[in-house]
Amino acid sequence: MLIVDGVSKVYQSKVREKLWKTTYKEVKAVEDLSFQIEPGKIIGLLGMNGAGKTTTIKMCTTLLEPNSGSITVDGYDAVKDDRKVKSLVNMIAGGERMLYWRLTGRENLNYFGNLYGIKEATLKQRIDLLLKEVGLEDAADTPVEQYSKGMKQRLQIARGLINDPKYLFLDEPTLGLDAPIAKHLRSYVKTLAKEKNKGVLLTSHYIDEVEELCDEVYILDKGRLILHDTPERLTASVFKENSLHIWVPALPNRTQKELEKLLRTYHAKMEIKQSIDLEEIEIIIKTEQEITSSVLALLSNHQLTVLKLVVEQPKLEDAILHLAERRIG
Amino acid sequence: MIGWIRLFLAELKKEHRNMFHSRLVYFSLLIWPVIGFITSYYSFKPFSLNDNSPITRFVPPDHLVLFLLTGYLAYLFFWSLVQSAWQMGYERQSGTLEMIFLTPVHRLALIYGRSFSSLLESVWLFFTFVIMILFIVEGIQVDGWWSFPFAFFILFISAVIWGGFLNAIFLFSRDAGFFYTILDEPMLIFSGVRIPPLAFPIWAKGLALFFPLTYTLHIIRMLVMEAATFIEILPSFTVLLVVLLVLINISAFVIKKAENHMKQTGSMVLF
Repeated sequence: MLIVDGVSKVYQSKVREKLWKTTYKEVKAVEDLSFQIEPGKIIGLLGMNGAGKTTTIKMCTTLLEPNSGSITVDGYDAVKDDRKVKSLVNMIAGGERMLYWRLTGRENLNYFGNLYGIKEATLKQRIDLLLKEVGLEDAADTPVEQYSKGMKQRLQIARGLINDPKYLFLDEPTLGLDAPIAKHLRSYVKTLAKEKNKGVLLTSHYIDEVEELCDEVYILDKGRLILHDTPERLTASVFKENSLHIWVPALPNRTQKELEKLLRTYHAKMEIKQSIDLEEIEIIIKTEQEITSSVLALLSNHQLTVLKLVVEQPKLEDAILHLAERRIG
Repeated sequence: MIGWIRLFLAELKKEHRNMFHSRLVYFSLLIWPVIGFITSYYSFKPFSLNDNSPITRFVPPDHLVLFLLTGYLAYLFFWSLVQSAWQMGYERQSGTLEMIFLTPVHRLALIYGRSFSSLLESVWLFFTFVIMILFIVEGIQVDGWWSFPFAFFILFISAVIWGGFLNAIFLFSRDAGFFYTILDEPMLIFSGVRIPPLAFPIWAKGLALFFPLTYTLHIIRMLVMEAATFIEILPSFTVLLVVLLVLINISAFVIKKAENHMKQTGSMVLF
């Protein structure tokens, strides 16, 4: 298990006051952060720009040293036993950097594999397997500079898996990718956790991605942990209401009154919208309880045809936006 | 040891594909030192090289070609590694340096692997050219068959260790570009590539001591121009060994400091 315990990181940034005078300003990037990553679980780290997500990943992968607190990976301290930890973790970042563009995909993997000291036969086997898994078999011997953005990102994933890490850190892995490629990558990340038992920590600006993949979500704000829960519970803790949208051709007064009476018993709120062409009416009902069947039964009794029905549950994105607005407010 | 060899080979392959991707690169690596050598040779021509000439007190006129050839070959070995270390900046910018430091690779093995591979790629063509020329120039005086391979062995090892030191320095600072300037003309002048350090005024002799190339070149010239025996080169060889050991220790210290600094400041990604 990877355990982050009360970790803080302070950067000293230079402030040039005069031509020859420089002072230093302390910037707290991460403050007293604690969390755990179990093998087979996907953890999401969310927050605005500058929240401390990348700093956290770099501390977990030994690229940065915390000022206080500790990070242990399967019992090894990330500062004292950094070489051991390096062989257990790996990081994949979004974008097209971090690869040698003149080298082919296979040559890149071979080079990085050698840096991990992987035996030649094992490395060859692993490279073939990874290239196949990320769908780069046919482009394995093509220079990376001829790859598309999506192909470079897939090669990044293969590079991140070259040492068969137990814990994988994904920093905005689908940044700028087309939707189908991003979807393919998401399903691969899920496979890595659920079938290959890897602990994964993911940061992303795409909240749908976090909602789809993560077992638990940590929300950071200015380096501090402000919320931690499963995506479902996190959303439910902020929004308790579901929205029921029903489209009907017309809404007679008698039906509307009976509907209002029914909704009062459930403490539900109702809003009615007429379409621009006056051909349909949208009934929006906000409720904390499940009343879809009762509403539909009432409409049926009044012989109203339901044109469309949508049950909208609040999304994690709404919850985070709501929280952010609350904090700014 | 097998790990170090595999890393050296991996670096060699990467360096070859990444930096020496075109025949033009090799062409320039031959043409540039050849032009430098010819320029130096003809720079001496207008001056008197008779017995009263100040330079002939240190280099006999009929040994001038050999003196310059050995000087330029050794200089090329050392200078190519300044260029290689300078490339560290590109590794920073492309983010590959961070990926390298993410791995548990032995840091000293890494810098010597880089140094070894850059050296092999950069010098083999000019080296071949020099070997061919050596057969036709006058003035070669060796103690035995061992003198040539031993001279090149000393040159190669010294250059790799020097390259490792430079890699460590360029790793430490994103502003190490000034080293590029310091080590260009000053190394060429003060290490005795074109003029022997014995001909320098005392302050310049002092500066010559700061360049490991001075010690290496001195031994190489003793071996191939003065037919020096192993016993005769032993004092100079011992001094060179001490210099190289100091360089290895400084490199190890600088790498450790550099990595710790990067872990504190995160400056590995600032370029």
